[in-house]
Amino acid sequence: MPTLDRNLLHRYGLLFVILLVGLGLTLTTDTFLSVANLTNVARQVSINGILAVGVTFVLLTAGVDLSLGSVVALSGVACATFAHPGDHPVFVPIVVGLLTGAACGLVNGVLVTRGGVAPFIVTLGMMTISRGLALIVSGGRPVANMSNELTALAGDFLGIPIPVLCFAGVALAAWFFLRNFRLGRHIYAVGGNENAARAAGVPVERVKLFAYGLCGLLTGLAGVVLAARITTGQPNAGQAYELDAIAAVVIGGTSLAGGVGTITGTLLGVLLIGVINNGLDLLGVSSYYQAVIKGVIIVGAVWLDRRQARS
Amino acid sequence: MLRALELRKDFGGLTVLHPTSVDFRPGEVHALMGENGAGKSTLMKVLAGLYRPDGGHVEWRGARADFASPLDALVAGIAMIHQELMPIPDLTVAENITLGTEPCGRFGRIDRPAQLRRAKELLQELESEIDPSKLMRTLTVAQTQVVEIAKALGRQADVILMDEPTAALSDHEVAALFRAIARLKARGVAIVYTTHKMDEVFRLADRISVLRDGRLISTAPANELDPAKLISLMVGREMADVFPKRSLPTGEILLEVSGLTREPAYRDVSFQVHRGEVVALAGLMGAGRTEVVSAVYGLQPASRGVITFKGRPLVIRSPQDALAAGIGMVTEDRKGLGLIPALGVDQNITLTALRTLCRGQLIDHRAEAVTVGARLEELAVKASRPSQPIAQLSGGNQQKALLARCLLGDPDLIILDEPTRGIDIGAKAEIYALIQKLARAGKGVLLVSSELPEVLSLAHRIVVLRRGSVAATLDATETDQETVLRHAMPL
Amino acid sequence: MRLTPRTAAAAFLAVGALALSASFLSGCKKAEARKEGELLIGFSSRDLSAEYTAKLSEAVVDYAKTKPGVKLVMVDAQSDVQKQFSQVENFIAQKVDAIILNPCELEASTPAVDRIKAAGIPLVLVNQTTKSVGDSYIGSNDFEAGRIAMEAIAKKLNGQGGVLMLHGIMGTSAQLQREAGAREVFAKYPGLKLVDHQTASWDRAKALAITENWIQAHKGKFSAVFAHNDEMAMGALLALERAQLKKDVYVIGIDAIAQALSAVKEGRLDATVFQDAVGQGKGSVDAALLLAKKQPCPKETMIPFQLITRDNLSQFLK
Repeated sequence: MPTLDRNLLHRYGLLFVILLVGLGLTLTTDTFLSVANLTNVARQVSINGILAVGVTFVLLTAGVDLSLGSVVALSGVACATFAHPGDHPVFVPIVVGLLTGAACGLVNGVLVTRGGVAPFIVTLGMMTISRGLALIVSGGRPVANMSNELTALAGDFLGIPIPVLCFAGVALAAWFFLRNFRLGRHIYAVGGNENAARAAGVPVERVKLFAYGLCGLLTGLAGVVLAARITTGQPNAGQAYELDAIAAVVIGGTSLAGGVGTITGTLLGVLLIGVINNGLDLLGVSSYYQAVIKGVIIVGAVWLDRRQARS
Repeated sequence: MLRALELRKDFGGLTVLHPTSVDFRPGEVHALMGENGAGKSTLMKVLAGLYRPDGGHVEWRGARADFASPLDALVAGIAMIHQELMPIPDLTVAENITLGTEPCGRFGRIDRPAQLRRAKELLQELESEIDPSKLMRTLTVAQTQVVEIAKALGRQADVILMDEPTAALSDHEVAALFRAIARLKARGVAIVYTTHKMDEVFRLADRISVLRDGRLISTAPANELDPAKLISLMVGREMADVFPKRSLPTGEILLEVSGLTREPAYRDVSFQVHRGEVVALAGLMGAGRTEVVSAVYGLQPASRGVITFKGRPLVIRSPQDALAAGIGMVTEDRKGLGLIPALGVDQNITLTALRTLCRGQLIDHRAEAVTVGARLEELAVKASRPSQPIAQLSGGNQQKALLARCLLGDPDLIILDEPTRGIDIGAKAEIYALIQKLARAGKGVLLVSSELPEVLSLAHRIVVLRRGSVAATLDATETDQETVLRHAMPL
Repeated sequence: MRLTPRTAAAAFLAVGALALSASFLSGCKKAEARKEGELLIGFSSRDLSAEYTAKLSEAVVDYAKTKPGVKLVMVDAQSDVQKQFSQVENFIAQKVDAIILNPCELEASTPAVDRIKAAGIPLVLVNQTTKSVGDSYIGSNDFEAGRIAMEAIAKKLNGQGGVLMLHGIMGTSAQLQREAGAREVFAKYPGLKLVDHQTASWDRAKALAITENWIQAHKGKFSAVFAHNDEMAMGALLALERAQLKKDVYVIGIDAIAQALSAVKEGRLDATVFQDAVGQGKGSVDAALLLAKKQPCPKETMIPFQLITRDNLSQFLK
């Protein structure tokens, strides 16, 4: 395959791993390869998927966002607070959740661009601040009693789970955006070489602000979807979600140094993690072994993938 | 003394050095010449034990030598000064110079006073006044180069391989290096030397070997060659004229800079660029040339002074401001400020002028492909495909791609900071032609270059900077290298 | 306003200064408020964001307020063993008269307990034991809770059928004890089969995902789910409801948190086991006061569990 470009090979490498895991599960369980279960996998990956797409933008600019999990909790709590039956029309809690996330993202962005603080530190701060705010707003207790209209967001539309539709829509829009928008191109340029991008006339600060803001908005969406799914706003929800999301993005070939990566890759990374989680439950693997096996498969997948990309 | 016998080197199935035999004699400066990628550095690295040959062998003092590592070669008496500098930034100058040959006292304790003394002696041999107790990271690129040379001298080697040692040096540092080389020669040391600078070769070399596409083309005494002959050997064709004819500038003032100041880099700098004119900023390393053009382009705005462009005063705070006004720039620092390494050549080229290839916010991919194709052809950029990551291209092709990026926005003033540094003679000639073409089209060109022949033959006027101030403004057709240098040298 | 690094720094400093002065003022107040002869009790709660613990902690604080001459300081360890350890050290430094500790973990919290005992301060452990014992333990026997829940399942299924079990965080004493209690019931009824078990770490979203996967893997092979706490029971319930399988499956949790109670009331959740948070809270304050006044106090007080179904729900709803 001498004419295959590196990128394509890269994608195939990961796809190969996913198919391999899928084949293994099809042979060892009689339920993995069924419409019901695959729908199930799709539903379970959608929250991590939405987060992963958002954080792909930030990672592409050579930044990082560690606040995802906490902002999911805060957005979920904010959404649930406005979602009691009969209080507001259903779009109000949704918008509140989205805006809460976007606001957190924009604060991250402003501090990174204008304040000149390292993204790691800024978002680490946001991680504890938003967790604290979630506890304050909720009084430390799950915010329950959400209207049926809102929890219906976790239901189906034309037989497809709405979270899956959200994830698919977000991924498709992000893919189109990075490919076809000027701002999308600028994101790659900023991550590839920030100083060179600035010298070439790219509005670096605005580009980064956009990336963090968009990541925040999508985190807010994930918070709303999670609240709908578990029918409460949980102030302690989303622990370590950022790690799963960043892991998925990196597995998908996005460089932590920025400037390299695709939404397609992120999609595959999310799927791999989702299939592993689902498969281990189907196989009835003990909790202790699950953690070990997951880690081994993730590291192995990346190792195989990079090896193939190099050759 | 040192002899290469049918040396061959392959990389990934590609032969980069075809079987080559050369001998190097004591007390002789032997120049290796050739375009980038001709195999000069590869040959040197095999001689220095950095690469193992894939065929043939090295003969040293009449016996076959198989150097397994640079250390083996060093012990045998062969030292190399690398093109890519390899200092250890957090050690002092003295520690870097004596690395591996530290003078030791009892129990292996390093004798610090002796170490400093030794470093000072070696630096004095190069007529350099660098303080040996300074940290390496505080040095300029030129000073680092001097330290690397001192380090090689300190090895007491019988053969010293120098891979473009003067690439970053100012003229008086070069002169000092040449005097040191003369002393080494008198001591019977063999020098192997590569450079892209024609004048250096003929001042220095006793014999010249020309390499092209990994093959040895000829080895001849220097006095049997002249620059034109040498260039034609290097590029494989006759070069009628490397420097094309100068155009005639029109009267209209395009850019006027007055009183530009940012202490301590430069102060009270004033000059003009007319339409159709090439103005060169000349001066030694650290004279403030790059800093001044960076201010005009908005990379590092000046603290005082007025920039008037097309008759109107202009406030330039960022490259965005400069580009909007019609000022473009190709940087000296290709890696740091030019390339987006992971992006394709195509996306690198269209980065600045992407707006003109968009419908609304959407990129018109077809228009982009057409534009890129045309530019690649026009500037003869060699890439396997338009989307090839730019990091994989040779220096000359990268430079042409960055030029294409700058020109795509159709700026009226083009700032070129060292546009030909580190690229081969063929690409240089193409860039010279392009500069003249731009001038003829009525653009203004502001050129920064350390190569005086280039400055003298391309520019209409030369603004000489000395320690951040304008020392003279000269008419290029009525001046010569010595005059420029006299103004550039600190008094 | 244009946010320059300078204005950002200024704003940051201003906020910092405010926070500092606020904490300084409140610190003064605390110091003033400690009157002669007043008893100071330190209370470190495991995690205020967990509903049961929050309820327990609230009971501790409220009940202490009703006791004259008693001042109680509560801190939240947020499930962090290290954080709790430093909180304990702070209490020791303040020379409190007694400490009520709601430990994070069985093993890892043991050093904190040893430190308190070394300092000679009376110690009441509540709701979670450690390897070292305190002067008094107020709790409910988690073994008993697991047994009650599984007995309810056995009764419902007439001792025949498949069961799924959702564990709490592995290695916590509640998880270990609740599992052990359940295992005893399995041993008693050979017809009961444990189809599968996993940890959902007390977390609703995790329990939801695991149950969804189980529905795929074991559909038709199970007729009851036992969750080690109500949060996870709610997650399992959501998954079953969405798959329209709830009517075939009996779901039971432990703790009787508010949401679980209302789910029982609505007929969605079948049962929960009531752990008396208020009883535990009051008991621990009583024990701490006895110890602080150097009066005899029982080594262990067990607050009993009760099964809550729709039939007896009314007595637990206020």
